Amino acid sequence: MPAMSNTTDYLKPILLRLGSMSLAITLLTVLALASVIGTVLLQNQDQADYLQQFGPIWYWVFRSLGLFDMYHTWWFLSLLGFLMLSLSVCLWRNVPRFLKEMRSSKVALSDSAMKHMKHAHHWAIKAQSAENVLHVAKERLKEWRIREEQRGDVSYIRADKGKYHKWGYICVHSAMLVILIGGWMSVQFGFRGNMNVGVGSKESEISFLKGTSTEYMKMPFEVQCNDFSIDFYPNGMPKEFKSNLTIIDDGKEVLTSDIIVNEPLYYKGVRIYQASFGDGGSNIHLKLLKLDGSGDIDSAEAKVYTTFKDEATGITLEMTDFRPHNVENMAEAGKAKDFQDLGPSVDFVMRGPGLKPVKIRSFQDAFELNGENRGNFMQVSFSGDAKEFQSMALGLDMSNPQEWELLQRFMIHLGDADLSNQQKANMQAFKAAMDDVFGKDKRPDNFQAMAMRVLQAVQVIPRLPWPYIPVLDDYDQKYYTGLQLARDPGMNVVWTGSALLVIGLCIMLYVSHRKLWLVVRRKGNDVSISFVGLSNRNPLNFDREFHEILSLINDDMQQLKKGETV
Amino acid sequence: MTAIVESNGLWENMYQGRAAFVRYWAYIGLMLGAVGLAMFGGDGYTENGYIFQLVGQDGLMWLGTGALLAAGLAIGVSMLRPEVVNGHIPKMMVSWFDGGALMLILMGLLTLLEPSAAMVSYEDQTNLFAANVIMTMNVLFLFSAICYIAYLFAPESFIGGMATAAAWGGLYAGGAALLLRWYESYLFMDGEIGHAPVSNIYEVFILLFCIVTIIYLQWEKRYEAKAMGAFVMALVAAGVFFSIWLESVGQAEIKPLVPALQSYWMKIHVPMNFVGYGSFAVACGAGMAYLTRMWLEARGSKMVAVFPSLEALDQLAYKSVAVGFPAFTLATILGAAWAAEAWGGYWSWDPKETWALIVWLVYGAYLHVRISHGWHGKTLAWWTVIAFLVTVFCFLGVNMYLAGLHSYGRLS
Repeated sequence: MPAMSNTTDYLKPILLRLGSMSLAITLLTVLALASVIGTVLLQNQDQADYLQQFGPIWYWVFRSLGLFDMYHTWWFLSLLGFLMLSLSVCLWRNVPRFLKEMRSSKVALSDSAMKHMKHAHHWAIKAQSAENVLHVAKERLKEWRIREEQRGDVSYIRADKGKYHKWGYICVHSAMLVILIGGWMSVQFGFRGNMNVGVGSKESEISFLKGTSTEYMKMPFEVQCNDFSIDFYPNGMPKEFKSNLTIIDDGKEVLTSDIIVNEPLYYKGVRIYQASFGDGGSNIHLKLLKLDGSGDIDSAEAKVYTTFKDEATGITLEMTDFRPHNVENMAEAGKAKDFQDLGPSVDFVMRGPGLKPVKIRSFQDAFELNGENRGNFMQVSFSGDAKEFQSMALGLDMSNPQEWELLQRFMIHLGDADLSNQQKANMQAFKAAMDDVFGKDKRPDNFQAMAMRVLQAVQVIPRLPWPYIPVLDDYDQKYYTGLQLARDPGMNVVWTGSALLVIGLCIMLYVSHRKLWLVVRRKGNDVSISFVGLSNRNPLNFDREFHEILSLINDDMQQLKKGETV
Repeated sequence: MTAIVESNGLWENMYQGRAAFVRYWAYIGLMLGAVGLAMFGGDGYTENGYIFQLVGQDGLMWLGTGALLAAGLAIGVSMLRPEVVNGHIPKMMVSWFDGGALMLILMGLLTLLEPSAAMVSYEDQTNLFAANVIMTMNVLFLFSAICYIAYLFAPESFIGGMATAAAWGGLYAGGAALLLRWYESYLFMDGEIGHAPVSNIYEVFILLFCIVTIIYLQWEKRYEAKAMGAFVMALVAAGVFFSIWLESVGQAEIKPLVPALQSYWMKIHVPMNFVGYGSFAVACGAGMAYLTRMWLEARGSKMVAVFPSLEALDQLAYKSVAVGFPAFTLATILGAAWAAEAWGGYWSWDPKETWALIVWLVYGAYLHVRISHGWHGKTLAWWTVIAFLVTVFCFLGVNMYLAGLHSYGRLS
């Protein structure tokens, strides 16, 4: 069939090129370089961030190259495909040859081949000892695979070790192919996504990133989170988080189990991992301490992720997060650490007519330093970025409503006082305020500390631009558990390939094919003997091995020669 | 046979024949005992409980029984078939086991120097003793590096011997210090945060020094490649300065593990990775020695005589890669297995993973051009040096500059 052979003629050079080493190395290099891009350029971020970071032109260039989700672009996947193709061609070309070589039973050695061998030694003996030489040499090469051949006057002994090292090559390259196929199966037939389930609720949909957009997928079952708990270390780091989950399949509860990080749950081919946790919409109760001079305290209630709107002032509080603990190292730098829990806090963004939006973290508890109550404080960020929080001490301990009242009275009396003597005015105003709040000449136990706080507060609170100060008052915490669900039919294929890869590498790198020949050449009464060797790798060790055997055989030769002269 | 035995000292005797054979099997028995304890002992395996079992009565029983049984069996077998004692593997492995045992004993002795419980706390770790041992290791490695460099100029003198001795000393100090840190991590917070000393960048640096040193010392012992020490130990010395800096910025503290790291995989994946990194460092040292020798040859310097031949250096670089590459491959696979268990997928194109892949590709290409294309010499020497720079970026640069799932190794 001429047409057929034409196609093969046409295809052969392409196939040769595809399986060539140069292409393989080029592919490895290009893959390595391409992978670098994906690590330097953060993947799968918000498009607006990219635009801001690179400007419109570069953003457009990068975007059209798919660099924001690089590992899934057509060109990166084609590179991997090319690698698979190259591997297949390489195997297809070389495996038959290797198998044949390993099976070959060529024992004789040509003179020209012998000349090229670096490891060689020659002796000359008399014919009577020739048979003995073969016998003795075979005894010395007991641990080697020996074959013999006779060609006219020449006898050959060939000894091999590590003859099957070419299996290493075959294993490694097919292993790579298997791993890539496994990876392809994972991508093609598997999925991986996130599911956040609030405590007490159910969920059956996962979300994942595809390209740059989020997609959703229905699971064949529902996951219900019965409970979620976290243990903390004394320095505030989470020690363990644990979810108690129930799988509901077809309306029936089929499985209830605890999961923690590193110990996933397995159901219907899907693994369910504990990945993260967060606030699942805790109920937040805020005190709103009015700054209009009335001294009134309003209250606000909202769930995290919702917004509280105050109709009267037009102020909105968007609750963004709640934290039950805030452990901080209170020691100075270089000193022994001193971890303190500052208690619960809520984050919210306050917006309103005529107000610059601010992000506020408000703490429920008063701040204690060296056992002294320093009053409540909050962290305020005008940029809205949590990294730019600045601490602001309010001075007052807000858990005690009398202190708030005291401040109000103090400010009123301060307004009435004679301001020519600041200190005296303060004293008088405070005294009057105390009388107003606690009754004439009645003083609480720690009124001196309270006085300090009020004096601090009067520096800060009247200057705040807000209509009121929102302070965390109470909460009903609710977590959500962050789960990751994945199905990966390619995983076991990848493990098989991996095992093959490691085994193959060990054979390839540690087993060297060592060949020794003993050539006995008879010429009349004289016999010349050559002992030569060759190794495909590890010349340092082979050198040693060769010389060890050589010295033994040399001893034998000397013995034989002695026998000749006697 | 007896003549040979008599001509050797007691020391050599320990490492051949029946003494080595029986000891080898005793160690194997010990390890099997440890495995048995994990699988069948007590109330089942737990991460922390196991360590306490090992050093408690259960451990004594399981490990002791294992060791005694195996040693007894070995004696029996060696009586019946005397030729088994000549096997290659026991002779080779027993010195490694002995070294490990010596490190454990050293660590045991060092625990005696640990301050009283009242003087150590999580908040104030300055009194812990391991820091002193680590400083000793630092000094020994730096001294060793200086001696190895001096050896290049004065090969005849005793300096070469001192260099090797200091390297061995540093190795044992480092190993014992790491084990001691493991012990120390159980000293506070009621032992709640105890974990293997491979959890942060400071600890793995010490591990790296030890691995680089031991691989290099093997090459020195087997292939008389002492001149290479100047380059390998110089790399270690550079690392020592870095780790001293790490300590000065508070990275040396024992910290609790985040939940993702609380897994036995950490104890396998991390050290295995560092066998890879360590051998690549040794390969880089060999490559640098190769390039230096070439440069010296071109200048006709007499110092060339100190160096191993170009061919030998080339081989040593390859040998180091041949040790490192399978180890690194295995480590990456183990990492993938861990990721499959903790993160929900064996591969996420996380920067650390991707860089591990890049390192793997770079050394894979090295092996290709060497094995199949038969490249040798200068180009490959440069290759080992540059590939090591890529490796350094993988285990250091990624943590410093790129965010990702491996961010617990991050410098703060």
